[in-house]
Amino acid sequence: MSRIGVFVCHCGENIGRTVDCAAVAQACGELPGVVHSIDYKYMCSDPGQALVKQAVAEHKLDGVVVAACSPHMHEKTFRKTVANAGINRFLCEMANVREHCSWIHEDREEATQKAIDLTRFIVEKIKHNVPLEPIKIPVTRRALVIGGGIAGIQAALDIADGGCEVVLVEKEPSIGGHMSQLSETFPTLDCSQCILTPRMVEVYQHPRIKLMAYAEVDKVEGYIGNFTVTVRQKARGVNASLCNGCGECQKVCPNKKIASEFDAGLGKRPAIYVPFPQAVPNIPVIDRANCALYKGRARNAKKDACKKCEEVCGRKAIDFDQQDTFLTEKVGAIVVATGYQLYNIKKEQDKEAISGYGEYGYGTIPDVIDGLQFERLASASGPTGGKILRPSDGKEPKTVVFLQCIGSRDPAKGIDYCSKICCMYIAKHTMLYHHKVHGGQAIVFFMDIRAGGKGYDEFTRRAIEENDALYVRGRVSKMYRDGDVIKVLGFDTLSGEPMHIDADMVVLATAMRPQPGIESLAQKLSVSYDRFGFINEAHPKLRPVETNTAGVYVAGACQAPRDIPDAVAMASATASKILGLFSASELEREPLVAQVDQGTCAGCFHCVRVCPYGAVEHFEVKDRKGNLIKTVAQVNKGVCQGCGTCQANCPSKSVELQGFTDQQIFAAINAF
Amino acid sequence: MQALQELARKLLTDKTANVVIGWGQGPRGPRPIFVTQPEHADRLIFDTRCVHNLATYLNPRRAHLVPFVKKAVVVKPCDARAVAGLIRETQVKREDVVLIGMRCGGVVRDSDMDGKLTEATVSPRCMDCPDREPKLADHLMGEEASAPPKGKGPDMIAKLDAMSPAERWEFWQKELERCVRCHACREVCPMCFCDRCIADKSMPQWIESSPHPRGNLSWQMTRVMHMAGRCVGCGECTRACPVDIPLGLILRKMTQTVEERFGYRVSDDPTVPAPMGAYRLDDKQEFIL
Repeated sequence: MSRIGVFVCHCGENIGRTVDCAAVAQACGELPGVVHSIDYKYMCSDPGQALVKQAVAEHKLDGVVVAACSPHMHEKTFRKTVANAGINRFLCEMANVREHCSWIHEDREEATQKAIDLTRFIVEKIKHNVPLEPIKIPVTRRALVIGGGIAGIQAALDIADGGCEVVLVEKEPSIGGHMSQLSETFPTLDCSQCILTPRMVEVYQHPRIKLMAYAEVDKVEGYIGNFTVTVRQKARGVNASLCNGCGECQKVCPNKKIASEFDAGLGKRPAIYVPFPQAVPNIPVIDRANCALYKGRARNAKKDACKKCEEVCGRKAIDFDQQDTFLTEKVGAIVVATGYQLYNIKKEQDKEAISGYGEYGYGTIPDVIDGLQFERLASASGPTGGKILRPSDGKEPKTVVFLQCIGSRDPAKGIDYCSKICCMYIAKHTMLYHHKVHGGQAIVFFMDIRAGGKGYDEFTRRAIEENDALYVRGRVSKMYRDGDVIKVLGFDTLSGEPMHIDADMVVLATAMRPQPGIESLAQKLSVSYDRFGFINEAHPKLRPVETNTAGVYVAGACQAPRDIPDAVAMASATASKILGLFSASELEREPLVAQVDQGTCAGCFHCVRVCPYGAVEHFEVKDRKGNLIKTVAQVNKGVCQGCGTCQANCPSKSVELQGFTDQQIFAAINAF
Repeated sequence: MQALQELARKLLTDKTANVVIGWGQGPRGPRPIFVTQPEHADRLIFDTRCVHNLATYLNPRRAHLVPFVKKAVVVKPCDARAVAGLIRETQVKREDVVLIGMRCGGVVRDSDMDGKLTEATVSPRCMDCPDREPKLADHLMGEEASAPPKGKGPDMIAKLDAMSPAERWEFWQKELERCVRCHACREVCPMCFCDRCIADKSMPQWIESSPHPRGNLSWQMTRVMHMAGRCVGCGECTRACPVDIPLGLILRKMTQTVEERFGYRVSDDPTVPAPMGAYRLDDKQEFIL
């Protein structure tokens, strides 16, 4: 006969307000097999846990049911408590009478009855619980960082400085990310490249960092501590081991009219290029879509059109026949730091839920630019050498209108969230503009000024008070080109006056969005993402850099709009988590995994095909002489995540999920 | 017929197969026979009364046939789909089985009938069968076949679809009430190959074993679920049922649903996994709340 203890928690008022906890404890005390049943204000508190411990010893309990919050919240807490009291921790279960009962019901009597029912199910279930031992798995003390922006760089450096190896994968030809495109950074106005490039070089020279630029993650297999990642190294058309980055090839390339990605389309680059002079690695890439040779080859031309770069290369590093290669890396943890892209106001959007700005001409007015383009105009390394000149005719704009919240906070455009950084960078832009164009007038249309952060509000005040930026609270309803100027029709909601401005240039603070392709990467990693594509953190407050897949962490703007200090802080947090994970050579995992009854398994291997983690293997059952009797399924405990798909799928019910066996679930259902 | 007998003789003589599973004349029409001697090959016959799905004898659960290892089996297109299913689910190795495929234009409802194929005698299983010849076969025999005659009677699926859920529930309750739990449907089914059927599991017992409406319903619904995307439509369960439950009807409905939802139709290509045993990122999921 079982000796079960039931512990009903009031959770302060959370449960106690709607559920008569004393009545639940009393009713459960009368259930067969229950020898001890009490209620207490805060079961998870120290005295609460002491009650559990004491009862285990006093009543010789072989099962503990805590009727309280979700197991997600405190199952670990109470399992640890019973383990300390000397019984196997898997002999403790939780009945969720908070999320599943008190929080969602109002009628006290009915809620109390439901709480009794929920607890009774678990009491019946726990009678079939068996002691389980944790699974120990080895850890590969090596990390993969996906994305070489500031977040990825920081994470890689912190992990490598902590003594572990790092593989840093960046899809662009150079690391640096968006930060390398910025002119100055708020709130200190220090030069972005001046603080970033030393870090990039540090990554490149670090003995424990393997940098794979111009590469993408192709496939991810395995589990925490033991991932096998296939990385596709895209063909540069340049042999990286021979190239010394002299740059001669770029000078001779005849096609120099390609819009530069680094200059946000405002500058030009050749078909063989490094994105910017400080690129790391400083090895060019041939843009095959724009190179005459590849275009010719694609048309099956008999002769190669141009080989000027090959002719001029003294190191013989140009390799037109280079192909993509696939490399396999074994790692124990993964950081996702893929960053952001900017929303565009064009008519055609990549997602149906998102729509463009017809009222602003769907991006057809040439002097309407976005924030990153303004960064390039203001940057000393930019296409104008740091002079603010408008793209259409190269004139210095005397009136510049800045519009905040373009896309952001606008459900009608498909994006509900605040992009967080725009208030600050627009304030910075007005300052840079004021410093560079004397006598120019910056006008900012804003919804609110959101400047929470150390030195942030002071910064926006400075833009307004010392740098003469005119801040107008309101939105712009229409914008059109009229000869040389852009007519901007807005509304000042504080004075209640309509505003008509003749602007020379308009800067849109467009919303931050996750990088394209984030969904497919998230699926490869089995991490969840929200409807905008931002990676979900495991807990918004308490586990902000972990994801729902163990061993996969998230840093920077791929999780939500982030500024540089946030991204760097998150990156360091992932590094700290990963170094903690790597501090032991073995990892303990909960033994809640699937197990195959090899006696009844018919070997149809549905389970092998449906397992999302590739955890089920073939196992040959042999007799004593070594003759094969049959081939059945077997679960690799290290890989299994305990999702139960195989259990649901098995036609003969030969798979059991430990901790959720048929017997346990059946007993719980039958208790109804 | 002669070609079939000659081929069987040859296969047995040169030991390509140790047994030829086919049909022979029995006291009440054709019945399955197992030819192990070349001189007995002339007992094999094939006509529209050869209704049985012989793929069920490839099932590893048939212990008396396992020692033969190399088996030749005479198959109609529906039987070939079952063999493909067994290969797909690793119950049979393709190299262990020789498939003698018969072109087929439909069979009659049962083997003790007159072999004349008419609207009145055609088996319901043949009505939506698109295959005239088994593509998986190693040897193909018989004359080019024309499509089977359309059967008479109301379209039962349309009739069921038109019912309200309550009416449909009542319809199946009434049909399944008769079930005596003899498990003939399971025994005859080529795709039921588990060593221990879920219906025989007792710890815990998901499906009550005695024949009363509740257990009957769990049993048949479980069987239909297990057949989703796997049922080859050979109709043997309907033929074997001693109390005439229209099992083929519910399976046909399930086949239709699987095709609508997953774009999958059971074929005799063993390399395509059935949706029940496949994990695809683009599987429809709008019905998940």
